[in-house]
Amino acid sequence: MTVHVSPPDAALDPAPLLSIARVSRFYGERIGCADVSFELWPGEVLGIVGESGSGKSTLLRCLAGIDRPDAGEVLFRGSGQPLDIYSVAEQERRRLMRTAWGIVHQNPRDGLRMDVSAGGNVGERLMDRGDRHYGQIRERALDWLARVEIAGERMDDRPRQFSGGMQQRLQIARVLVSEPKLVFMDEPTGGLDVSVQARLLDLLRVLVRDLGLAAIIVTHDLAVARLLTDRLMVMKDGHVVEQGLTDQVLDDPHHAYTQLLTSAVLSV
Amino acid sequence: MTTMIHVENVAKTFTLHNQGGVRLPVFDAVNFSVAAGEALVLAGASGAGKSSLLRILYGNYRPTSGHIHITHAGRAIDIVAAVPRTVLDIRRRTLGFVSQFLRVIPRVSALDIVRDPVLARGMSPEQATARAQAMLARLNLPERLWNLAPATFSGGEQQRVNIARSFVDPSPIMLIDEPTASLDATNRDVVVELIAEARQNGAAIVGIFHDEAVRSQVATRYLDITDFRKAA
Repeated sequence: MTVHVSPPDAALDPAPLLSIARVSRFYGERIGCADVSFELWPGEVLGIVGESGSGKSTLLRCLAGIDRPDAGEVLFRGSGQPLDIYSVAEQERRRLMRTAWGIVHQNPRDGLRMDVSAGGNVGERLMDRGDRHYGQIRERALDWLARVEIAGERMDDRPRQFSGGMQQRLQIARVLVSEPKLVFMDEPTGGLDVSVQARLLDLLRVLVRDLGLAAIIVTHDLAVARLLTDRLMVMKDGHVVEQGLTDQVLDDPHHAYTQLLTSAVLSV
Repeated sequence: MTTMIHVENVAKTFTLHNQGGVRLPVFDAVNFSVAAGEALVLAGASGAGKSSLLRILYGNYRPTSGHIHITHAGRAIDIVAAVPRTVLDIRRRTLGFVSQFLRVIPRVSALDIVRDPVLARGMSPEQATARAQAMLARLNLPERLWNLAPATFSGGEQQRVNIARSFVDPSPIMLIDEPTASLDATNRDVVVELIAEARQNGAAIVGIFHDEAVRSQVATRYLDITDFRKAA
């Protein structure tokens, strides 16, 4: 019925990659997100949907280590013991954000260094994790540019000379080159033309499947959620109102708000 | 024979919150089992809930109450209560759904669509490609279309891609919703053969077929959904 993107042995992993418990964040009196709990397992792709202002981006920022939640825990299990990412020093959290997981921003300018060449943008991440062999770094950067369909001859160009779709693909290469287990994406196809979106979506679908990535994708586009995610969380006014398997939530929505969302689009 | 599906007291009512909270009862107290090697054909008038029941068996619709035990890797698992990753694992290895509509993905070729499920089960790319090509050929899809994305294919061509995807490596349980709706006689016969082969190889089949001839060729047993509707 849909194309599944998890690796074959997803159900055999012994422990969740991410455990979220009662995460809340407030902006003064206003609720950003409230009391969100869930687990994400290796290879799972979770979508967070809802209208603008529903708290989905606020939640993503808390999960990705960008904004400290006012309450609750974000436990990340890398290779060893689970780690509360807000209990470690700022510097250690920054290091994790560059190596253990990746963040794809809606606006590529927020994720790229615009004054550094395309190859440099990708290679920099390898140097962050300790790679020092220049030839190998350049080779891996070239390989990743090819995987996101950027011609090798553009390697020394700066991102500002690229189209929006190319910038977004470059950002994805920069995030994935360091082989994170987990990727956060905030509206990865937002602001792109429909034809450019289609190419990017297919690329993401294939990369997520081939790399066995776990991902959390914030989107307001239910068709994007249908294509890329295994599970879905629906948010309204900072609260999760419904969650489940993506096709269950979209085809047999139970909450009034989810029914409104799914009936408001022409066809997903 | 091994029981592959065991349905216990399943009821389904849709509640439409944005249309005055109207409640649409579909059925109540559905009980039946399907064994390996059986083909159960769901009968009942249009609107009786046949497709809803099939979707519930797949874990796509959530029943209002009841249990559905699916035999997966030698164990019975209640797909109603299972966590999403377990449902996905059951679908990947045990439970196939054949619908009449292909969900077209931009830029993905017919061959890749058909190969995808066997690759996900761990077959080598060469073997998977060979099997996918053989299945597309068997369903008479012209070879010049194999490497194209099916967005521009006719309804019947898209449907055959979808069927090829489902039967390239038949699942131990196959749920089939109107697979022959827009096919010509030749291809309809191929689909009937594919279903019969899967069943003879031990698959448990639950299906909906409007075509009377197809229905009688496929069925080993019938279940009339209308009986459960009265109770709802």
